[in-house]
Amino acid sequence: MSTLIAKQALRGLARDRGVALLAAILAVMVAVSAFLGWSATQTVNAIYAQAVGWLTAQGAPVPPNPLHEMPPLASLRNLPVYVSFLGAFAAIVIGQALVETDRRAGVLPLIGTRAVTAATVAKGRMLALTVATGALMSVAGLVSILALLTLPIQMGLADWFSLAAALALGWLYMTIFGLLSLGLAARLPGTAAGLLAGTVAWLAITFVLPALTGNVNPTAAINPVSALASVPDMPVFHWLSRLLGPVSLSEAFGWLEARAMGYLPAGLAPRAPLPLLSLGLAFAASAAFALHANATLDQTGGPDA
Amino acid sequence: MPGTRPTDPAIATQGLTLSYGGHTALHPLTLEIPRGEVFGFLGHNGAGKTTTIRLLTTLLSPSDGTAQVAGHDVNTEAMQVRAAIGYLPENVRLYDRFTTRENLTFFARLSGVEDPAAQVDRSLRFLRITELADRRVGTFSKGMRQRVGLAQAILHDPQVLFLDEPTSGLDPMGVRALREIIDRLRDRGMTIFMNTHLLSEVARSCTSIGVLAHGRLVFHDRISALDGYDERALEELYVGVAQEDAA
Repeated sequence: MSTLIAKQALRGLARDRGVALLAAILAVMVAVSAFLGWSATQTVNAIYAQAVGWLTAQGAPVPPNPLHEMPPLASLRNLPVYVSFLGAFAAIVIGQALVETDRRAGVLPLIGTRAVTAATVAKGRMLALTVATGALMSVAGLVSILALLTLPIQMGLADWFSLAAALALGWLYMTIFGLLSLGLAARLPGTAAGLLAGTVAWLAITFVLPALTGNVNPTAAINPVSALASVPDMPVFHWLSRLLGPVSLSEAFGWLEARAMGYLPAGLAPRAPLPLLSLGLAFAASAAFALHANATLDQTGGPDA
Repeated sequence: MPGTRPTDPAIATQGLTLSYGGHTALHPLTLEIPRGEVFGFLGHNGAGKTTTIRLLTTLLSPSDGTAQVAGHDVNTEAMQVRAAIGYLPENVRLYDRFTTRENLTFFARLSGVEDPAAQVDRSLRFLRITELADRRVGTFSKGMRQRVGLAQAILHDPQVLFLDEPTSGLDPMGVRALREIIDRLRDRGMTIFMNTHLLSEVARSCTSIGVLAHGRLVFHDRISALDGYDERALEELYVGVAQEDAA
């Protein structure tokens, strides 16, 4: 029955223009990210070719092409930024829509009086959410693969596995926010309240926590280059970094993505002692919250008439 | 249905109560409705009619007392109760972006109907709404939605059908059409529990009535015991018992 609930929810999402728009924007932004990577690569390559010609004419030694020293996936380094921004926000909207669609349609009492447990319905919604975020990441992955195939870079088998790992991490990160939103939507009736609560949690994780753990400029937290900087040498940042590092999910995600895609600066330690464990625990906690909130969701359909 | 006997009443409650936060929404309710009855549950707004339906359909848990629906206890056999009932809430909208057929097929599958497509067609024919089958529900009037809502409630041939203010917001033609449907469902032997504050509906469609005032059952009898009561006399009776309770 969970599968039936999930299928119905996914059909509803597929017909939701807001969700379709967010998915399209995410795909376009990933494509733009790939284009920027391609453009930067082409520019460096062109400058290098001119420099080679000039150096050869001067009889000077020719240094190696800097592109060959770059990890192939570095050209997609903006991908985690868009997953942090648009992907997580799209997941919040999807989580909200999964509950609010049923509530607005007045079908909660119809589902609640069928011979199906509330936990089964909750699991169905969670399944729909994980499939929806998986579909979004698949679109992002497809765009990334198309971009990589057109770039003048050599991709080995290990690089393709690294890309798969980066995409899986993106799915995990998005799904954490989606599950959180699914639980919040069940707890807080009304689209505005549910979306606002989810967005506040996202803002806190994306901007506030990284600022507290060491980045003076919070927007730098999602930037794949400047975010990967050491904590400023001040006692307060060191203490906050130790205290909040394990729950600073966007930093854990950024660090893991940088490592998976090969552009992590050498010797840069993560804020969280075990960043993958931080994301895993956050996933488990948000899943437990979503399950409990949806299994205890008020299915009466509102106040007594 | 295994575990039930044909002689069991369709609905039986013993001291069914719902209290929360110091407020009693339903005072101990003891009621028995035989199978095949069309029971009209009358009461003013906020009297506790919807609360009673929610308790009997397992959407709410009683704070005290018990109830059996189709021979099953609402507290301990909620899944069996749900399998035996159909429910049409007051403000059903259904999935706007889906057609009637898509909506009904989903609910048929959720009810475990063996051949959902065939059962959906049967329900559409029964309610004479086959022309709405492939139209999106979002484009429907209140009356159309009500009929589709009723179709989802009877998809799995329930033994007991709960209707919460089914005529609310309907025009006279819609009310007449719904009354005719209720008559045909009654002829099929279905027990119908109908919340309403329309005395005309009770007088025309019901075989027994109960009057609820401020969460208390103040009157319960068969319509036949009220022979000679026309709509005006029923109104007098209703107002009388409600005022008596309030005093």
